[in-house]
Amino acid sequence: MSFWQATMRRSVRLSRTYFILGVAMSIYGTILSNILSFIPANYGNPASTPIDLMNSFPVLSVAILSLSALLFSLPVVMLFVYDKNNGVLEYLLSTGLDQLDIFKGYVKASLSLATYLLIFSTIFNTVVGIYLGTSLDLLASVAVLTFAIGISEVFLVTISMMAFSSLQKTPMGANQPLGVIIGIIPMFPALILPLVFPSNAILVDILIAVATLLVSLALLLSIKRLILREKLLP
Amino acid sequence: MQKLELQEVSAGYGVEEVIHRINLTITEPSIYVVLGPNGAGKTTLFRTICGILKPFSGQTKFDDSDLFNSKDARRRIAYLSHLNALPEEMTVFNALKYYADIEGGDVEHVLDLLSLSELRDRKFSSLSQGQKKRVSVGKIFLRERDLYLLDEPTSNVDPKISKEIRDMLIKLSKDKFVLYSSHNLYEAREIGTYLILIKNGELKFFDKLENLKTRQYRIGIKTLNDVSKLLPESKFENGYYVMKVDSPREVAKIVNNLVQAGAELVELRELDNPLQEFFEEE
Repeated sequence: MSFWQATMRRSVRLSRTYFILGVAMSIYGTILSNILSFIPANYGNPASTPIDLMNSFPVLSVAILSLSALLFSLPVVMLFVYDKNNGVLEYLLSTGLDQLDIFKGYVKASLSLATYLLIFSTIFNTVVGIYLGTSLDLLASVAVLTFAIGISEVFLVTISMMAFSSLQKTPMGANQPLGVIIGIIPMFPALILPLVFPSNAILVDILIAVATLLVSLALLLSIKRLILREKLLP
Repeated sequence: MQKLELQEVSAGYGVEEVIHRINLTITEPSIYVVLGPNGAGKTTLFRTICGILKPFSGQTKFDDSDLFNSKDARRRIAYLSHLNALPEEMTVFNALKYYADIEGGDVEHVLDLLSLSELRDRKFSSLSQGQKKRVSVGKIFLRERDLYLLDEPTSNVDPKISKEIRDMLIKLSKDKFVLYSSHNLYEAREIGTYLILIKNGELKFFDKLENLKTRQYRIGIKTLNDVSKLLPESKFENGYYVMKVDSPREVAKIVNNLVQAGAELVELRELDNPLQEFFEEE
């Protein structure tokens, strides 16, 4: 078993609460995604509002589904702080790994967990959507956007949280929330812009996701320069 | 011939330099006791040798490979820090397997070697401090290395296990380099061939232990019967027969003589720490 696989397994055992919350939130996202199917066709006239709710409202569920992936993968970062304080990272460094190997291991574990949940969310959302008669185009859009935003957001949050935890002087991991804040910032435009430009919702969100992925990747590849090995010491 | 070489190495954390211009060349497999008071720089020295800390200046080399830059060279080193450095949520077997999966090695061999088989399915967090230390020591024996760095490996371990660990290291040192940090001169004398003395981040002494000249030791002996005639050079102070000896080896002789003469020995204690005296000396 490789380092990232072992890290993923350990994260799953560390806190099941986050996994339950992640699944619960993805179910909530599915309901939101298909909520228009519950509204009778002759109920009011939502299409006359300045914002095209019929097309843009389901896109809101992308944020919820992406957040569920984030919740699902958060134990990986908790494990990182725990391993740093316990001297596990120090030992791993002494065995020949460097800071990039270690960061890659935790990021891979985090992205893998997020992917598992996103696969579940997408299948669940699609099945429920088909059952309720939600348009297939809309379901496909939600699936694509959820993956794009979810993965990029989890990547950025994971790397930011680990970087902040490494750089802080106190060993308690108190700076971790900064990583969450930085990581979810790209989600706000991803939420609002599709409402403003509903016809370009997919394009806008994909662009945001690609930009977030590129920033995360650049951060990861700069880790050797940004974080010295000594920053992983307890 | 294997060679560990530190050339003018200064290192530390951030901008704070902890060890200063250390020169050290080790070519003979043996136990090298790194001795120094708390804060002397022993851990920093070890972290620099195993490539975690980048030297501010100078170079650390193992067989001419730079230890900070060469992953292969670092893989030949085992480093035991003063922390247990094992995933507490796992069982003993799984915790060791976690490292074996990452760096290779044989968990069963370690369980046998350190008599850990009866603990194999116990959760690491549920073990006593001594048991945790044994498992922690175990991880550096998962695979064979050429250089072993051990930061106070017998702290929190009962005397029996301490002896087992020391015996294991003595055996290992026949063809490996073992650097063993301690602040106990008696322990150093028991296992070490060489002594590396560090104070305030500077190398003060590096030679065979037998060449270390320390001041006299003061010991106190408590007995149930009067032994003043057997210890004519001693003074009776606060219930102890206090006397000076030149080395710990003399203590064994004195105790033997007393026992043979029928003295009922209750306690034997070191009253002055000759190491402390040594470090106070400038």
